[in-house]
Amino acid sequence: MIKAGQIDKGTALLIKGQPFICVDREFVSPGKGSAFVRLKLKSPSTGQSLSETMKTQDNVDDIMVQDRDSQYLYNDGENFHFMLTDTFDQIEVPMATFPDYEFLMKDGETYRCTFWESQLLEIQIPPKVVYFVAEAEEAVKGDTVQGATKYVTTETGLKVRVPIFIKQGEKIRVNTETKEYLERVNN
Amino acid sequence: MKTAAMFRSQLNRTIRSFFDQKGYLEVETPSLSPDLIPEPTIENFGTRFENEFLDSRELYLIPSPEIYMKKLIAQGFGSIYQIGHCFRNSEQIGRHHNPEFSMLEYYSVGMDEQDSVALTEELFASLVPKDGPDHLKPPFDRLTVTEAMWQFAKVDLDKHQSQRSLAQEARRLNLQVPDEPESWEDTFNRIFLTLVEPNLPQKKPLVLDRYPAQIDCLAKRDGNYRKRWEMYAGGVEIANCYDEERDPEKVRSYYRKQYASLVQERANKESVIPDADPDFADIFTTFPQCSGVAMGLDRLQMLLMGESSLEGVILFPFSGTLVSGK
Repeated sequence: MIKAGQIDKGTALLIKGQPFICVDREFVSPGKGSAFVRLKLKSPSTGQSLSETMKTQDNVDDIMVQDRDSQYLYNDGENFHFMLTDTFDQIEVPMATFPDYEFLMKDGETYRCTFWESQLLEIQIPPKVVYFVAEAEEAVKGDTVQGATKYVTTETGLKVRVPIFIKQGEKIRVNTETKEYLERVNN
Repeated sequence: MKTAAMFRSQLNRTIRSFFDQKGYLEVETPSLSPDLIPEPTIENFGTRFENEFLDSRELYLIPSPEIYMKKLIAQGFGSIYQIGHCFRNSEQIGRHHNPEFSMLEYYSVGMDEQDSVALTEELFASLVPKDGPDHLKPPFDRLTVTEAMWQFAKVDLDKHQSQRSLAQEARRLNLQVPDEPESWEDTFNRIFLTLVEPNLPQKKPLVLDRYPAQIDCLAKRDGNYRKRWEMYAGGVEIANCYDEERDPEKVRSYYRKQYASLVQERANKESVIPDADPDFADIFTTFPQCSGVAMGLDRLQMLLMGESSLEGVILFPFSGTLVSGK
């Protein structure tokens, strides 16, 4: 049991028997009211999102989770396939549970994953990742407007809006949370 | 940083000239006080006066200048305003909170909370440029708390005046309500904060009026409600207004109840328990009809500058202190 006020991003909770991961937490104190915390929770098994507002003094069931390294092998359009690097066990995770993660994860790369017993609750993608520009539109000639942008596609299939000077074959750093371009990376 | 400083300087000038032209007197009252209005939901900062040769004494940083401004009004000062620093402990640090913040507080003698809406609209007309964003421009949208609860949660507040029936409504809405007893106000806030506040209209500034009487405060009571409103702009709560309670007996009973629950709630915690002045209610024997508004000045500036966080407004935000680990 923990107090709702102790919940932070990444805290794993059991709500009505279902595991949830906190993806966002905001304290709110209504005018003349007790302290509350507004939580955005995600169910890793169904992908279902849940908004909950609790008093910071409410008791909540937390669950013990464990971080393990897992190598991302591939996806078959329905499931992600991972290999646990400590036991070499292979696991499957429905892609619908982690929407858009197929565009963020690189084949063969190892990610920290959060497990509750045998269930994968969270894949920890680093907040900033360098991707290879696999496809880039040609910049339109004569487009001299300052701050002009275009779309490129990374080797993982992620579409990112970038400044027009970015070319195919270059590397870019991307904010994986907002999926926004941060900077060009020189080798 | 300099842009924010220049903006604040101009904002303060505009606010002062607005109230000066209306004949309000600008006042400065203490930030360190030997007693505070008992408000269990606001945690305080405590410190100590010390002198080797004199008695020492606990002092508290004010969470609002209300206690002193009301003393001035009772003395016949008429309408007054103040721009000053206020202090609230234990609150979140971040986008919309800083433990030390600037407050604009104005009290209008002879007016009620509805007059204060009109005055605040006038203030906004002078603060927001003609080509400024609609979500800051008067006239304000109006909703009562009852209307908002019905519109966004389909809860009829008039019907659910007991905690038990309100808790049933909350459970119907799939909200978590613990089995342990809690106040009506806490159950109300579970519904309000989850389903209502995030959905309040944001196209225009919004005055959310007539708060439930169960939420005890120093605003006059009117049936099941209080003559109190809160103002939201761009989804951010920026002001609170009362038709100020003038009945000494009611103020005395508020003090008694709130002080008792403050002491009870904080007894087992390390939080500061500020003293309350047992004679404060006496000033209301000569207190005129009056409406007071407290407005978060940093938040106001944040909205006017189009910023999304106080960090672009407050020159040395507390979050910086935390990050640098000092």
